[in-house]
Amino acid sequence: MLELYTSEPNTFFLKPLIALAEKQAAFTTRYFDAANLDQFAAGFPTDLEAGLQLEREGPLLLHDGTLISSSFFMLEYISEGLPGRSLMPAEPFDAYRARAWGQFLGANLGSGVTVLGAAKYLRPHLATLDPDWVERRIAAIEPIERRAGWLALRNGTYTEAYLQTVRDRLAAPIMRVEKALKQGPWLAGSEFSVADIDAYPMLCVLPDLASALVNPAASPRIMEYLGRIAARDSVRAARSTARTKNPEQQFVPGVEASRWG
Amino acid sequence: MAVTLYHWEPNANSGKPMLTLAEKGVAYESRYLDLLQFDQHKPDYLAVNPDGTIPAMVHGSRVLTESTPMMEYIDDEFAGPPLKPRDPAARWRMRWWMRYFDAYFAPSLSMIGWSIFIGPAARHRPPEELRAAIERIPLESRRVAWRKALFNEFSAEELAESKRRVLIATLALEQHLGRYEWIAGDSYSLGDINGFNLGYALPLSQPDHCNDTKTPHIMEWLRRIYERPAARATWSKGRTQMSERIKNLERQPKAPNA
Repeated sequence: MLELYTSEPNTFFLKPLIALAEKQAAFTTRYFDAANLDQFAAGFPTDLEAGLQLEREGPLLLHDGTLISSSFFMLEYISEGLPGRSLMPAEPFDAYRARAWGQFLGANLGSGVTVLGAAKYLRPHLATLDPDWVERRIAAIEPIERRAGWLALRNGTYTEAYLQTVRDRLAAPIMRVEKALKQGPWLAGSEFSVADIDAYPMLCVLPDLASALVNPAASPRIMEYLGRIAARDSVRAARSTARTKNPEQQFVPGVEASRWG
Repeated sequence: MAVTLYHWEPNANSGKPMLTLAEKGVAYESRYLDLLQFDQHKPDYLAVNPDGTIPAMVHGSRVLTESTPMMEYIDDEFAGPPLKPRDPAARWRMRWWMRYFDAYFAPSLSMIGWSIFIGPAARHRPPEELRAAIERIPLESRRVAWRKALFNEFSAEELAESKRRVLIATLALEQHLGRYEWIAGDSYSLGDINGFNLGYALPLSQPDHCNDTKTPHIMEWLRRIYERPAARATWSKGRTQMSERIKNLERQPKAPNA
């Protein structure tokens, strides 16, 4: 039994949808509305790992009783645990590069992307909800690391100066990806892999959220890379699961930024 | 192809590939870098790893600089006992916990460690020399970290939050090791190597939270890893008092009438 708990196909919710489509796996979708905090309602599946996971939000994959959380490792699990072609490069050094990209972009790109997206799209949405209801829902979120991102949005603590700092910090990881794409069409090895499935959902929203950094003049290879991935059958299938008109505008607070400043 | 490893003490990120190579029985050329002398920011090393982070492993023409993916590479590439479980769910568990160690537990623990050890140990030099050393650090995130450590800029709130997180992570690990013998499940793996590098000194640094009464599963797990020949061999490569802390894990002989 394979069940995917997921929301609109954007950011980390998009990743396993693409991987499962690449594998042509049969699964049941358990859809929830992340922007309305359904993932914190009573009865939502959780365990020690899902409760402590560092993405704070995101998809869950329930496979034969095991609850898989944390989106990059979910991709590796889908690659190794389900039939079909491996999504991990076969050569060990390419596999290393895929995992190193996952770690680097998760820390340096993922946290910034979710902050920018949530500030632009989720904050106005939260303002349309009943404040008392939002207050109660947020107060019930455990542990407090998960609550912090929602509180910052509700309280409006993301100033424009802070958001500009977040944008500025994206420049280095974006340039690293642009440079890597000079070496070949994919991030790790000669084939489309988990590295690309992981990177794509974080990068494809940047022409909107950080347009000065990701555009045809500043990052032509990234733009071309995004176009090639968007045309894949698996990505089209993943996007077709959307229930709103603008899934690319659906964000949750997501990964916490480094506490070291 | 020869393996060269650039590392500091067998501790935290440096100790992860050291112990993995020892478990696999892979011979390597050791290049010791003194973190407190900023060896990792000097031109010779920046030619190997332009980011100036340690460890780095060179295997033939390949350069690897991310310590946890480096451990998986060592296991994938070399013969020797497998250090990843076969079962995909157990592999996922191993990787989940390694990320929790790397991105939650270790940064909180190291913030405390840097404020009380690394900062004071490197701070005795003139401020202008320290400022120049900071300016040579390639990554902005590392410049921020070193500036905070060297000029003691950690706020009370930051340190309190790190202490809170260390306690939460210690309790979570204890709960996990109450369910499973090893991090991945029923076999020793890279997850244990990673966790040991983070936690071997926890009973000394966090005596109120990590001890035989409050965290018996963590204590037993640490001692079982300490007793492995590869761990003994790896920690014997330490050059400072830091690596001596591992001896605290020696089992005490029971009293005759106990």
